[in-house]
Amino acid sequence: MEEKTLEEIIARYDSPTGKVLGILGDIQRSEGYIPRETLEMLSVKIDVRISQLYSIVTFYSFFSLKPVGEHVITICMGTACHVRGAVGVLDALESLLDIHGDTTEDGKFSVTTKDNKFTVEIARCFGACSMAPVLQIDGTLYGYANPDTLPAILEQYGWRAA
Amino acid sequence: MTQGKTGTELAEPPKKPVTVSINGNAYRADEGECLLTVAERVKIPIPHFCFEQSLEPYGACRLCMVGVVHHGKTVMETACTLRAKEGLTVLTDTPDIVKYRTILFELYLAEAPKSAVVKEMAARYGVTKTRFLRRVDTGDPLGGACILCGLCVRVCNEIMGAGAINFINRGPYTVVNTPFTEPSRDCYGCGACAAVCPTHAVSLEDRGGERILHSWSETKVPLSQCVSCGKYFAPAALEKSVLSRIEPPLRDDLEGLCPACRAKKLAKKEILAATGGDPGDA
Ligand code: SF4
Ligand code: FES
Ligand code: FES
Repeated sequence: MEEKTLEEIIARYDSPTGKVLGILGDIQRSEGYIPRETLEMLSVKIDVRISQLYSIVTFYSFFSLKPVGEHVITICMGTACHVRGAVGVLDALESLLDIHGDTTEDGKFSVTTKDNKFTVEIARCFGACSMAPVLQIDGTLYGYANPDTLPAILEQYGWRAA
Repeated sequence: MTQGKTGTELAEPPKKPVTVSINGNAYRADEGECLLTVAERVKIPIPHFCFEQSLEPYGACRLCMVGVVHHGKTVMETACTLRAKEGLTVLTDTPDIVKYRTILFELYLAEAPKSAVVKEMAARYGVTKTRFLRRVDTGDPLGGACILCGLCVRVCNEIMGAGAINFINRGPYTVVNTPFTEPSRDCYGCGACAAVCPTHAVSLEDRGGERILHSWSETKVPLSQCVSCGKYFAPAALEKSVLSRIEPPLRDDLEGLCPACRAKKLAKKEILAATGGDPGDA
């Protein structure tokens, strides 16, 4: 991220409450992830230790330290979604996209397809349990997900059956 | 869970003497004094991990739980955040507390299966087994002994102002380390983290002219060498920051000397001054 862009983001937040999370959120949204250089630059600019920023970024599943694909699919693995078949949805998604995810060292799940089109991540409850199981693609929520309806949804994002 | 009063209210504890009752016996205490400190003074054991004199108590480890009797009812509170006041009545070993403590020890045995301190303390309270899944990580830089109490993080941030380490990740994946698990540039190498760690999980070593903080991603900091005896004695960055707070004449006297040589030099100077000798190259 350009230094100027970062400065613009920082300038949006004048009150100290919610400042760091707000800035990090804006970086995540604009870059799709949090580049290390940006995190280090931010640390200097707002005078918050890098250890503190890193702690926040690794705490929330919303943030990612790795670049992600063009579309980000987040599957909810919260209790309600889990009970109503989220694991089956994830399995189906993995086979449709030909990816194999495993939880990484930091406990975050994030896999990107070879063509860089999709990244699949896991969240814990979107607060939309009534529509469980739920998945989200680029911010749009899809409720009552099941393996059969997945292909049609993915096609809207440029996926084609092999 | 009921928490003790917060720091702001307690900033200046008035020294009014009060009487508190612990397990049915009356003891003198200063009003506002930390109950855990009172209990320690009168030799009533209350197990605890996260209490550290130099930091505001924050009730993180939950181990120091006691029962506070109030209008015939007993509620559980952490002794480290509890403040002495007239008539405060606490019990340290009610069946509820014993049950609670047992579960906690089992959790700690699972969280830090390699910690001798945890094992020993748990055994003292009759807990030698855990029903919970043990956290096993052979490559753990804290040797499977960290209970995530956060004391090292707090001392590094709040006391030293270095902010080299912090919590990373969340839930069962939480660890304490340097960002990106790479050697830290913010670390002074002071070793305060190791000094406060209740389970002695932090490993560091002085080798040659360097201090190596094994637990913190092998961070290395240079040590200062004493200009007089040649011994390595303190992290260079730390020596510099300490010296910068001392007034020039004394600072020039002390610069580059290890504590032993410092004492020698000052003593020699005093003696020479008293006997009217010439300090010269003392
Ligand atoms: S290393 Fe020691 S002081 Fe730091 S969190 Fe772990 S147990 Fe607490
Ligand atoms: S558990 Fe999935 S939205 Fe709540
Ligand atoms: S010492 Fe009181 S909660 Fe840890």
